[in-house]
Amino acid sequence: MRHFRTLLAHELRSAALSWNTWAAAGLFLALMGGIHFFALVDAARAPTSRAPVEATLWFFWLPLLCVLPLLTMRTFAEERRSGTLAALLTTPASPAAVVWAKFLAVWIVWALFWLSFAVFPFLAAQRLDGANARALGEASSLWGGLCFIAVSGFLHVAIGILCSCVTRSAALAALLAFISLLALTAAGGAIETLPIESWEWLGWLREPAAHLRTFGHLQDFTDGVLDARPLVLYGTGTLLCLGLAVLTVEGQE
Amino acid sequence: MNEAAPQPEAAVVAERLTKRYGSLTAVEDLSFTVAPGEIVGFLGPNGAGKSTTMRILSGTMSGTSGRAAIWGVSVALDPAGAKRHLAYMPENNPLPEDLRVEEYLTLRARLKDVAPDRVDERVRRVMEDCDLTRRASGRLIGQLSKGFRQRVGIADALLAEPRVVILDEPTIGLDPHQILGIRELIRSLRGKMAVLISSHILHEVEQVCDKVVIINRGRLVAQGRTEDLRRELLPEAAFTVVTRADEAALLAACRRAEAAAGVAALAGADGWNTFRVTLPAGSPARETLAATLIGAGLALREVAEEKFGLEDIFLAATRRAPGEGRRS
Repeated sequence: MRHFRTLLAHELRSAALSWNTWAAAGLFLALMGGIHFFALVDAARAPTSRAPVEATLWFFWLPLLCVLPLLTMRTFAEERRSGTLAALLTTPASPAAVVWAKFLAVWIVWALFWLSFAVFPFLAAQRLDGANARALGEASSLWGGLCFIAVSGFLHVAIGILCSCVTRSAALAALLAFISLLALTAAGGAIETLPIESWEWLGWLREPAAHLRTFGHLQDFTDGVLDARPLVLYGTGTLLCLGLAVLTVEGQE
Repeated sequence: MNEAAPQPEAAVVAERLTKRYGSLTAVEDLSFTVAPGEIVGFLGPNGAGKSTTMRILSGTMSGTSGRAAIWGVSVALDPAGAKRHLAYMPENNPLPEDLRVEEYLTLRARLKDVAPDRVDERVRRVMEDCDLTRRASGRLIGQLSKGFRQRVGIADALLAEPRVVILDEPTIGLDPHQILGIRELIRSLRGKMAVLISSHILHEVEQVCDKVVIINRGRLVAQGRTEDLRRELLPEAAFTVVTRADEAALLAACRRAEAAAGVAALAGADGWNTFRVTLPAGSPARETLAATLIGAGLALREVAEEKFGLEDIFLAATRRAPGEGRRS
């Protein structure tokens, strides 16, 4: 991992200069800005069970499915197609350093996107008086939600990186990432809606289903509940995906 | 240059290298060495397995069996260690389009463990050596011509002053001026780095290389110095003779000097006929042919011994059955 810092700096610089990143940023801000605007309009019309900030964060899956694959799709697929990955691997830099550098660079960009979203509630609060500003939602909910995005983002980005490793086509990598992230986000909720209790032979699914409640994790974070299980889930999932990505890069001929 | 490692007997060792893709054998039982500081041409027809062998040696592909070592370090057991002594420029020379030449070389220098305080100096040096400073340093790689892209690839290969440089078709797509420049550059590496270079331009290889390794259908067919291979593969002597005599008279005159001599008519104009006279290997008539023909009273305008080039050696070597080849 001696070359990790060099590679990370290069990846961040490339991301900053890439039209792809700026297009993804524009799409992200348009999506989240729009969602937040409608959440504010809804809250102004009638009292709602969720504050606008929480309601907006509840739609985190939309940029997750539409924007994150745009960031991860080119990381390896494009380099494999052009042959620059093979050229990179002729240097003493290890495949692990390359994978981790690309992973962390995308995660940092993803985290910056979400930090930029925090500007919207801040601007809304600036324009309202004290009581109405408080009705927008607690700042702790916002930061809790962003912490969830950051923690779950490790796994989400790692999935996107892995998808980009297995193909030379950036479009296919984006599609694979979209399907995988959709499955991961929806899996917990889908399993929970099944009448598992009435199916004896599906009893073993109860435990994993409880761990995969993505929206439950978001709720816990916004409520300020710190549970170690999601951290373990996202941590081990990230390591697994990146380990597979390293093996895939090493095995490419 | 990396001074820590002691100098091994061979800078590059390929020992019984084999690469199979299912039922297809790309490289089979291939063995050769490159001595430190030596420039070796790696030749073979298209699909002979040159690029596969180079990729195995550079660690970007694993072999099915056999051993590859760079500066005494096994490529399979210690790929990072082997790569520290090696620079490899692949055939298509992939480069990132969105970086400027200087930025790219700086990045590569850092990845190749060039000491931080020497990075700028090394980048400047290789850019000067490869004539990139004036016309390409500030330009995006994506905007460069094929010739300059090749130069960037070679500059990258020389950046960390490696012990071994492997260049796969470094002059492909270059114009004659550029080829000349690259040839001079490679020649300047003699004695400093071991260079393994594959090229389809045999004249160029002959000009630059100390030794050639010729493979065909994945197997070694010949290796050694050009002179040794010429003696081994093309032992007979051939002369171009321009005379007023006809074929029968010339043959009769030649047979006086060498009973096994052969004559073949090539062309004729203005009463002068051109023939190709061949003498068997080791024939003493080689030294006396001109005198013999004059002694026979033939009107001669020219008697010239044909010099077999690498092209002839290559054709002779690749015509013989794979596996017949041996150390010259």
